[in-house]
Amino acid sequence: MSDELFNREEFISYFRDEAEELLQQIDADLLRLEEGVNSGETDPEIINSLFRALHTVKGSSGMLGFVEVQGLAHKLENLCDLLRKDRMPLSESAVDILFTGRDLLTGLVQSAIGEEEAPHGVAEYIDKLDKYTSIYEETSHVIEGRTGQEHSFEEAAAHEEQASDADVAAFEAEVERLLAQAQAASAAAPIEPTPVPVFEEPVAAAPEGFIKELPPEPVETIKPELPKPVAAATPAPVAPKPAANGDQRRSSIHQTIRVDIERLDALLNLVGELVINRTRISDIANTLERLMNDKSGAAAGGAAQGIIAPLAKDLADSAALLARTTNEIQESIMKVRMVPIGQVFDRFPRLVRDVAKARGKEVQLVISGAETDLDKTIVDEVGEPLMHLLRNNVDHGIEAPDERERLGKARVGTISLNAYHEGNQIIIEVADDGGGINLEKVRARGLKQGLISSDDRLSDREIVDLIFTPGFSTAEVVSDVSGRGVGMDVVKRNITRLKGVFDVETVSGQGTRFTIKLPLTLAIIQALLVRVVDELYAIPLDSVIESQRVEMTDVRTVHGNEVITLRGQVVPLVRIAEFFELGGQRDPDKVMIVIVGLQGRQVGLVVDSFEGEQEIVIKPLSDVVGRIPGISGATILGNGSISLIIDVHSLVSDAHVSGKVARAEFSGV
Amino acid sequence: MADVKQENKQQLSGEVVQVVSFKLATEEYGVDISQVQEIIRMVEITHVPRAPRFMEGVINLRGQLIPIIDLRTRFGMPRIDASKSTRIIVTDIGSKRVGIVVDSVSEVLNLPIENIEDAPEMIAGVGTEYIQGVGKMAERLIIMLDLTMVISGEEKQQLEQIGDQAAVGV
Repeated sequence: MSDELFNREEFISYFRDEAEELLQQIDADLLRLEEGVNSGETDPEIINSLFRALHTVKGSSGMLGFVEVQGLAHKLENLCDLLRKDRMPLSESAVDILFTGRDLLTGLVQSAIGEEEAPHGVAEYIDKLDKYTSIYEETSHVIEGRTGQEHSFEEAAAHEEQASDADVAAFEAEVERLLAQAQAASAAAPIEPTPVPVFEEPVAAAPEGFIKELPPEPVETIKPELPKPVAAATPAPVAPKPAANGDQRRSSIHQTIRVDIERLDALLNLVGELVINRTRISDIANTLERLMNDKSGAAAGGAAQGIIAPLAKDLADSAALLARTTNEIQESIMKVRMVPIGQVFDRFPRLVRDVAKARGKEVQLVISGAETDLDKTIVDEVGEPLMHLLRNNVDHGIEAPDERERLGKARVGTISLNAYHEGNQIIIEVADDGGGINLEKVRARGLKQGLISSDDRLSDREIVDLIFTPGFSTAEVVSDVSGRGVGMDVVKRNITRLKGVFDVETVSGQGTRFTIKLPLTLAIIQALLVRVVDELYAIPLDSVIESQRVEMTDVRTVHGNEVITLRGQVVPLVRIAEFFELGGQRDPDKVMIVIVGLQGRQVGLVVDSFEGEQEIVIKPLSDVVGRIPGISGATILGNGSISLIIDVHSLVSDAHVSGKVARAEFSGV
Repeated sequence: MADVKQENKQQLSGEVVQVVSFKLATEEYGVDISQVQEIIRMVEITHVPRAPRFMEGVINLRGQLIPIIDLRTRFGMPRIDASKSTRIIVTDIGSKRVGIVVDSVSEVLNLPIENIEDAPEMIAGVGTEYIQGVGKMAERLIIMLDLTMVISGEEKQQLEQIGDQAAVGV
């Protein structure tokens, strides 16, 4: 495998995607396996699936020379092999070992592709794993079938002394058997990739005589024995998902390809251009038609009109067809950017399991609506807030099993995660059947932290809102799970940043429900177009409260800052032309004002004129000209010209930070 | 400094350099054709308030937003209104696509490399690293520019960093 044969960087990128997918699948399999252990019914196919996934990771990492990944994957694969051959009983400790191994494997993969530091404790883990498996490799000579006793890691460690010799012998035998099997398999039909160890150098952490005993046969020597150098011996990244792989899991999944999001964006740009040209062609067609119908001009046209009239009609028909097709293309591309939210949900069962285990809770996570589509950029951002929420639900929401029993609830708490579309929004609900938010506790903590004072009369809702205050935590003991006081405020901020709305309902003793409403896409928004001096600016409509014309006599000044009074509220004005230093003259008689609001704070933006509402496609400007205060992006209008989008958020906080409102209120305007 | 010039000169490909020549006021300039992505007619430039000072604004190039640098402003020449012959040379500076406004684009020349001389001491100096040399062709003097050096190191850094600050995509 010399480097000339393949583009290494591309392979690594492929490897990363593939490994991510496989690790996710390993996780899911392990969860199912654990469920099986608990219920006493296991599907042998799960272990096979695990085995195959680990095997693929091993092969791909070997191709790229990631020996550490390859080494660990190999060990885990061995463990699975013992399990699937019933030489090791499937026990909770075995599943736990696999879980830990999976996490270390993830760490190793990330360090191999240079994304993370190498994880700690890999050598120790492999050491323990060896001892653990060696027990069964040894006993398997004597005991057949599912009679092997369960052993824990600790026992394995105690077993250390005797493990060495017999251990190696057993392993050698296994290796020989595997090799024979592999060759037989490859000679027959290269379908199921039986483990062919592809070590080129011993793994550093491997125990004595483990890998060194393997014939150091490079892949090439095996290949010629194959009818064709197919992916059987080395699951080669070149043929990532060969049909011959017989992988049942993949056959059940829709056929997909990975596309760089930048390519999609480029496509979207081109479609935008197409839309603009379509409009121009329609305009030309309309103009021609009008000329044709203009009887006064007809006399001058004379004979030519007989030829041009049908052409004009053709052009108009064509333009209409073009318009339809273009719209459909645009819609399709927008749809391509949509991905199922399940991509994010997938990692939560594992998270909930781990947190529940660490906190001594029993929790089941019920997911529905995983197939609900939304924009890729939102999917990428929504994972972390959801993760915080789920942690909170397990940690603070669900009661301990005994407590639940005492309360007459099922020992196992339920958290449901549900996603669905509603209009052009997606709703994500995270609900638990735990104790609900303890309002008294929250209130007490709020008092203690000085967030409220004892004579504040707060509604229940206001008390609940306290949990979103930065630094707030009701956890008595700071756990490693949640309760560090960085949680709910961050969740709320993240959701707000995605232009989402966040809501909590809680019923004491019955549970808590968090509801998140997000726009389907951040790429298209409704905007109000306004003219300032000679440029058009777009103001996102979701933050516009109203727009109105105000006489200068109604504009007052407070410490030199212009304000108006709107329904009893003092609203500071920001003159866009002056804020952006665009020049232009102030109108001495009146001002055109767009009132924008954000989280209850309002600002009046002074513009020259209102130019109507329009749906706009947001293009980030920051990667073209840098981040500009007051500007959040740009859009290209129907006529091809550019309009900048006003960043209401920064303007509102700017106006308020500068103390205009505080001063205005102080002076009692 | 002289070494840098020498190096720049050697970067020009082969025996004959293909040069896109353009005019600014009365002077004729040239850039290696490999630096030119495309040349477009003048379009409306949208002014971006509070943008970095070397930036004139942005244009819409087939749906892509591209920052624009006016070479006259850059070289401290008096500004003029765009005319029919005004052109934008689209080039890549670092990893960024940038448009550069010039008075007019003349032609593509085949300039023998031995006809390019180092820039005279008088004009070579700090702030003029973008001048690679002076090409002679019959009676014409063509000032060879390295467009990637047209904006200063600091500005280039600023430009390079710009993408990194990009937020969630909004």
